[in-house]
Order: sequence, then C-alpha cells, then structure tokens
Amino acid sequence: MSTLIPEKPAPEKTGSPPGGPQGPATRSLLLRRLSVMSPLARRLTALAALAVVLVPFAAVLWGSGAWPGELGVDVSGPLDDLSQWIVDNRDTSPVFLYFLLHISNTSVDAVDGVYSVLDGLGWPGVTAAAVLLAWCAGGASRAGLKVAAVALGAFAGCGLLGMWDPAMLTLALMTVAVAVSVVVGFALGLAAGLSRPVDRALRPVLDTMQVLPAFAYLLPFVLVFGTGSPAALLATVIYAAPPMARLTALGLRDADPSVLEASASLGASSRQQLLKARLPLARKELLLGLNQTIMMALSMVVIASVIGAGGLGDEVYSALSTVDVGAALAAGIPIVLIAVWLDRTTEAAGERIGAPPAADGPRLLRGGPAWAVAAVGTAVAFAVGKVAGAAQWPAGWTVDISGSVNSFQEWTVDNLHAGVPVLGGTEVWASNFTVWILNPLRDVLQGAPWWSLLLLVAALALLVGNWRNALGATAALAATGVLGVWGNTLDTLSQVLAALALTLLLGVAVGILAARVGWVERVLRPVLDVLQTLPQFVYLIPVVALFGVGRAAAITAAVAYALPAVVRITTQGLKKTDPAALEAARSLGATGAQQLRQVQLPLARPALLLAVNQGVVLVLAVVIVGGLVGGGALGYDVVFGLSRGDLGVGLVAGAAIVCLGLVLDRVTQPTVRETDH
Amino acid sequence: MSTTLSKEPAREPAPEPTGAPPVFSIRKLWKVFGPKAERVPDSELADLPADELRRSTGCTVAVRDVSFDVHKGEVFVVMGLSGSGKSTLVRCLTRLIEPTAGTLEIDGEDVRAMDKSRLRELRRHRAAMVFQHFGLLPHRTVLDNVAYGLEIQGLGKLERRALAMKVVTKVGLEGMEHRRPAQLSGGQQQRVGLARALAVDPEVLLFDEPFSALDPLIRRDMQEEVIRLHREEGRTMIFITHDLSEALRLGDRIALMRDGEIVQCGTPEEIVAQPADDYVRDFVRDVPREQVITVRTAMRAGACSGPDHPGALAPDTIVATAIEIVARSGAAACVVEDGDCLGVVDHENLLAVVAGIGSERAAVS
Repeated sequence: MSTLIPEKPAPEKTGSPPGGPQGPATRSLLLRRLSVMSPLARRLTALAALAVVLVPFAAVLWGSGAWPGELGVDVSGPLDDLSQWIVDNRDTSPVFLYFLLHISNTSVDAVDGVYSVLDGLGWPGVTAAAVLLAWCAGGASRAGLKVAAVALGAFAGCGLLGMWDPAMLTLALMTVAVAVSVVVGFALGLAAGLSRPVDRALRPVLDTMQVLPAFAYLLPFVLVFGTGSPAALLATVIYAAPPMARLTALGLRDADPSVLEASASLGASSRQQLLKARLPLARKELLLGLNQTIMMALSMVVIASVIGAGGLGDEVYSALSTVDVGAALAAGIPIVLIAVWLDRTTEAAGERIGAPPAADGPRLLRGGPAWAVAAVGTAVAFAVGKVAGAAQWPAGWTVDISGSVNSFQEWTVDNLHAGVPVLGGTEVWASNFTVWILNPLRDVLQGAPWWSLLLLVAALALLVGNWRNALGATAALAATGVLGVWGNTLDTLSQVLAALALTLLLGVAVGILAARVGWVERVLRPVLDVLQTLPQFVYLIPVVALFGVGRAAAITAAVAYALPAVVRITTQGLKKTDPAALEAARSLGATGAQQLRQVQLPLARPALLLAVNQGVVLVLAVVIVGGLVGGGALGYDVVFGLSRGDLGVGLVAGAAIVCLGLVLDRVTQPTVRETDH
Repeated sequence: MSTTLSKEPAREPAPEPTGAPPVFSIRKLWKVFGPKAERVPDSELADLPADELRRSTGCTVAVRDVSFDVHKGEVFVVMGLSGSGKSTLVRCLTRLIEPTAGTLEIDGEDVRAMDKSRLRELRRHRAAMVFQHFGLLPHRTVLDNVAYGLEIQGLGKLERRALAMKVVTKVGLEGMEHRRPAQLSGGQQQRVGLARALAVDPEVLLFDEPFSALDPLIRRDMQEEVIRLHREEGRTMIFITHDLSEALRLGDRIALMRDGEIVQCGTPEEIVAQPADDYVRDFVRDVPREQVITVRTAMRAGACSGPDHPGALAPDTIVATAIEIVARSGAAACVVEDGDCLGVVDHENLLAVVAGIGSERAAVS
C-alpha cells in the first residue's frame, strides 16, 4: 500500500522545569542534571522534592499515626438520612412511582415469567431443551454430542442433588439478567464501535468497572430498591454488561479494513456495511462477549443472594452462615455444573465460527433443520413429561450428600486440622499464617504514618505508569481515609497483599513449569478451564471445610480464584516469546536456566505485568467476598451493613472497596493503553 | 526473465486516443492529507518540500496536479514506488478517498459532483476494484464472496449465485465455490477478488497492486489471466503496480509516478526508449530494451529501393526478433506496413537499441 497516511507532527519535547524555591543558578544546574536522567528517575526526583516540601508540613499539622480524624468526613449520618428518606418515600415520591417502581415490577414479572415457563416445561422438557440447544451450538454433529453430554450431566446433577428448584430460579434470574445485559451491552458497544467520541467517553468507565469487586455493586441497588430480586437483577446487569459492550466495540473497530474498503468500493451503503460486513466479521468477538457476560452474570446472581436473590446462591449463603459445609457443597456443585454447561455451550458456538465447514466432518443437519429438531425434541420431552406426570424432579431420584460430606468434614476437622505428624495440620497452618504473616503485615500497614503510605502508592504508580496514575491512586487511597475507614482498608489491603504474594509465587512457578514441560500444560489446561469459569462464591466452600472460618480461609479462596489466570497468562507470555530470539540463545549455547532468565522472562515482561494486574483485581474480589467467611474488614462491613440494614456502614465500605480497587489497579497497571489511538 | 517482458503477440494494439470520449478523464487532480487541505493545491505552499510543508501546515501532498485520460478498452498502468501516491490516486477515481481539487470525469460525467446515491451507483455498476490484500469476507464461501457485489445491488439469492457461478468458472475456480477464503492459496484468493469485481460486469476494472502479495510464479499466472481476460472481453482496466516488468507486460500506456506527480506518461516503448528525465532513465536502466522497443523506433526511416522488401518486418516487431532475422540473413531488413516500406533496420540500428544509445538519437530526431 502506498497510500500516504499523514503522520502527526512529532510532539515537541518540552522539559518541564520542576517547581522549587531555588535560585536561578542552582535551578539551571538542577535542570541540566535532570535532563541527563532517565524520565523515570526525573519523575521520582520530582516526587521526592514534592514530598520534602509537603510531608513535614502535614506531619506537624496532623501527626504521623493513622489517618488524622480532622481530615475525615462523617458520611454515615447523611447516608442514613438518605436511606431513611428513600424508605419513607418509596411509595409516594413520583421518582419511585413512575420510574423505579416500573423497573422493579417489570423485573419481578420477567423473572416470574421465565421461572413459570421453566416450571411448566417440567424437568424432562427443560433438560431436553438444554441438551438439544447445546447440541445445536456444538454444530449439530458428532462433535456437538460432547457438548450435549455436558448439558445432560449438568441438569442431571442439579436434579440428583435435590437442587432442581433453586437451580431453575437461578436460571430464570440469569436468563433475564443476561438478556438485558446483552441488549444494553450490545447497544453501548455498537455506539462505541461506530463513533469515536462515544468510544473515548465509554472506555475509561468500562475499564474502571472491570476492576471493581462484585460486592461493591450491591449496596447502591439495595439502597434504591431494597433487598430482593430487582436489586439483585439490576446489580447483575450492571456487572455483566461491560464485557459485551467492550467486545462488541472491539469487534466492530478491529474489522479488517481491507474488507471494509472492498465493501465500500462495491457501493455498499453504510447500513449494508454494518449488516453484511462489520457485524459478521465481529461474530467471534460478539460470541466471546456473550460468553463472558453469561459467566459474569452467573457469578453475580450467586453473590447477589446476599441481597435477596433466591436460588442456588441463597442455599450456599445460608449454609455458609451456619458453617454447614455439606449443604453448601450440595448447592455449590450445581453452580459449578451450570457454569461448565453454559461455558461449554457458548464456547462451542464461538469455536464453530471461523472453523471451515469441512473440518468437523459430514453433518447430518445444518442451520434451520437442526434447530427444528431441537424444538420438536423439547416438545416431545415436554409432552412425555406431562403425560407421565413428572413435572417435579422425582423425589426418589435425589441423593443427599450433605450428611456424608459433613461426616467427612468432621473427619477432616479431627484428622487434618491439627496433629498431623511433621506437617502440623490445616488449622495450624492457618493460625501460623495469620499470626506470623497477616498480623505483622496489617500492624505495619496500620502503624505506618498515613503520609508515608500515600507517598509509597504515588511512587509505585509512577514507577509503572505516569503522573495521572499516581494522582488517581493517591487520591483514591486518601479517599478511604476521608471516609473514615482507613484502618479497615489497610486490613483488607494486608490480606490482598499476602494473597497476591502467594498467588504470584505459585502462579509464576507453575506457569514457568507449564511453559517448559509439555505434559504439565496438557494436564493443567482442562483444570484451569473449569476453574476459570467458576463463580467466586463457590471457592469459599472448600476453604471453609479445610481452614475453618477466618482470614486465612478467605485468602486461600482468593489465591485459588486468582491462580488460574496468573498461571495461564504466565505460560502464554513465556510461550509467545520470539522463537528466533530463543533459537539464537540456544545456538550460542545457553542452558535452559539461562534461556529462561536471559531471554524468556525479560521478553515476557509485559505478560508478567499483566499477570500482576489481573491477579490483584481477582484477589481483591474474593478477599472482599471473604467477608462472608470471617475475612473481616471491608467485606464484613458490607455484609454487616446488609444484614443489619445499616446501609451507611455498608455503603461507606462499598465506596472504600471501589477506592481500594482503583488504587491497586493504578499501581499495577502498565500504561500500555495510551499507545493505542 | 528477459522473455517475461515480451507482450503476447496476438494482443490487439491499443485503440487510438481519438474517436470515442475517454472513459476516465482526470485534470489537475490533487489529494492533500491534513488539516485545511484545500488551501494547498495551486498555492505557493504546494511548492514547498514535503518535510517543510508538513512542518508548517501538517499537510502531506499525496497526489499532485495529475492529469490523464483513460480510453475505452485500454490497460492503463500507474506505476511508482511505494509512497508515490498511486494507491491514493486510484482510490480517488471512485472517491473512496475524496480528492482535494481538480476535475474527474467518467464518460463525461463529473464524479466529484455526484451525490451519495449516484456515487453508489458508480461503485456498484461502473467501476469495480481488486485489492492487494483481497478484502474477502472470511465467513462466506467463495461463491457468496463473488456474489457479494450483486447482493449489495439487491439481486435475489438464486439470480446472484447463478451469475457468480459463471464468473467463478471464468476465473478457473470451478469446484472450489463452496470453500472458505482461508482454505485457498493466495493466488486463488485473488482469483476470488478478481471474480467479485468481474461479477458486477463493470465498465472499468481498477486493480490496486493486486499481485504484489503473491509469489513470483503465481504472479506470472495471474498476469496472464488478466491479459487473457482483457483479450476476451476488452474491458477497460486501470492497473496500479510498483513492479516495472508487470507494468511493461500489461500496460498499453504507463503513467510513472513520483512523489504524487506523473513524471512520464506513454507506451512502454516510449518510456523505455525515451525516458523523460534521469529518474525514469534510472528506473528503466535494467529493462532488456530489445524486448520492449519495436523496429518502428529502431529503424532508419526511408523506403528501401527494391519492391521485394527483404526481411519484411511488421512495425511492432520487437527488436529481439529483428536481431534474429537480421543475424540469420546477414543483411538489413525492411519494416513494412500495408505494403509500404517505412524504413530499414540493420546491425547498427539494432545494436544501438541494445546498447542503449538509441534513445538520445530518437530524442533528437
């Protein structure tokens, strides 16, 4: 292509003189010194200068302990007033009567409607529909049978564990939430994909939403709608729509420009361009967006049981609150099964796109006829079920696992928690971990002068990013102090740091192993696939069984949740290093360790940084949810606020979680975003 | 490689520039990229060197004051190195890139004055383009890719597939119509691109470096395919390339571009025999001249004395052939057109062509 694309004129490098009360002579000396420094050192020097000026001032004025009370703002009073006002006016204010009430009623009606359809179909009808749908998504061929088998297993599992009804309620919530999320996300993505200003406005919002823990979304909706399925549904929609919007926009933007040009050269109108070229080209991204939206919706619907969404999550939640591991597991397994079913079905549909039709063998049926078969099959199963009077899952076909699980749990308490020779026991580890690592870490953080933490965050953010990052991160951390939850935030932070360190240690080690040893990766891949699809909530069940209730349990769950992503990113980063560079190192006689240290790890640096960023976001999400199993701190404040109806406490904790999420993201996020335009 | 430059002997000569109005008529066409681009053409700004212009205005001139006509049935090649503005130029013809200044007519109709629907009509029916990177829709079969232009025109499924099938056969892809683009080789993919353009039965075919991404041997095949299609259908073609041998092989006339300007426009023989400046001379230095230059240029004008015209070469015989005949007979050969003797070529004329000293003489005469 010799098309001339005008390049932007290179921005003039302007050395910004650092502010300071020096005389002109010293200033010019300083400037000369600064100009030879690397930009990073220059920025850090500027920060140090700023600190030298501001810190003594702040320390004298407000002391050097925890966040000074004078700098706080008590928001719980006004928040309580607000929530009281909402409670008082919910039935009279026009805002509620003509707008929010409609949303609330519509969502309740929609969920009820879907639930009654599922209920009316009966278990044979629902199972047949799910299985045939999976088969169609899998290409209606022999390859589709595998996907269909997963669906069959998932629904049989739900029934066998006696969780059919809660599972159907969860599915009904999911169906409504996903439908709305997809519509909203697609519309936003379409706007962002076609218009650059919309994209620029939307992107930072979506970026931020992606790093916030699910728990932070719950409270504002409870404030407005009260607990119950409308709040749960809306929180889910807000949580699950961003990936759809993001991937739709990405798919539309990344469409092969040569195809679009060819289409324009044939005289396509802009509508034809969109419908016949852009959207079909983006099908892969659209389906990936659907997949992610579904998985996030499931995760949120389960968590939203805390604010009154019924279904499987509610079973887990109530079981966990009485530390009934058996009952929690009986409800947790169906969640896993549903997650795997949904993931496999949407993934199979996504994989079929782009695969040449000849590749998956001769097909009996394609397109329309396959769907017709699915519809007829569902109808037949429904009719058979009706005739046989099998609307409810037969009571005789259930297996109660909670008893045996609980006796196994008691056995682990007796045998594994303590007194294992040499190793100690899980309870011992947990308490050692808490006493020797978590507590000192928390005490150091809470004992450190408040300004030193702000400074540290600013310096870290500068190291990986730029001034904007540093400013954002510092302001977010300060905001937690202003809100009056400095201590709790640092407690949560100490848990996040401990969990992150563990995650990175394990994740990078396993990632390196998987990248170098073929069979390790082959064994790990299906495990990671499943682990990555599970909702955060599910991870809490086994850790409570092993470690009891407490911070160590929450941290273990967080590590388990974040580990798959970190392992995967590390492995991919290492494997994607330029093979030519690796070959060159080998030809020079480098040993395996030298190759790793000198070539692979340096080249995989961007991937490793991404792993840290992802790890932090995922760890934070679960550490917060860990408030349910004794994680304490901010997560507990949210739960406490909800269960006591003390929304002031909960909302403040929620805001602090948002702030902490922003701090952690800004501090670990390399500024690669700025390069794309 | 020397023989690759010789044109197919059976090709019809390019139609004379007189007679019917040109298909495309381009006058003083400019394309300037950058802010407030319209102030640049025909101002003193346009005379600034490229760097300076960019620094002072942020603008870049891609096409500079270009004028030429393309006549019905001819293959017009625009050739230049990358960055010379040739791809921008061809996109200006159907306003895929909006020209900044100048006039642009197709069959006497002002393209720049066309409204949206008229322009769409132009793109749908009158000018179809073949792209360097094919631009195929990966999710469609070969047949549906070929039918894509017809679909945009609003033809029904059966009708457009039937039409597309004919074109698929014409470009030699029968049996592959149900494959996806990813299952085809590069050459086959470009055949699909070619078929898609042909399917709408356009008046003009525009090629934007269509074979640059292909292997040399496949490129050769595709060039022959284009020559064959042109011979069979006589469709007007505008062909962009950076490959001189491709330009010489395909072009009835060649416009050589440099920095957005046309440096020279003429038949391959004119370009090789009479380069307009040092840049063009440099460009054609390695061309085997005896494969391009005809005896009409090489001959010494003036009728021979006898009526039997020894040798009797047609005027468009290339020098290489003449050398063989003259060397065999050991005597000068006559250049004969319609029974009249136009001139004579002997060892001296022919050697001058090969040695590259003929051009100065031709330029003088």
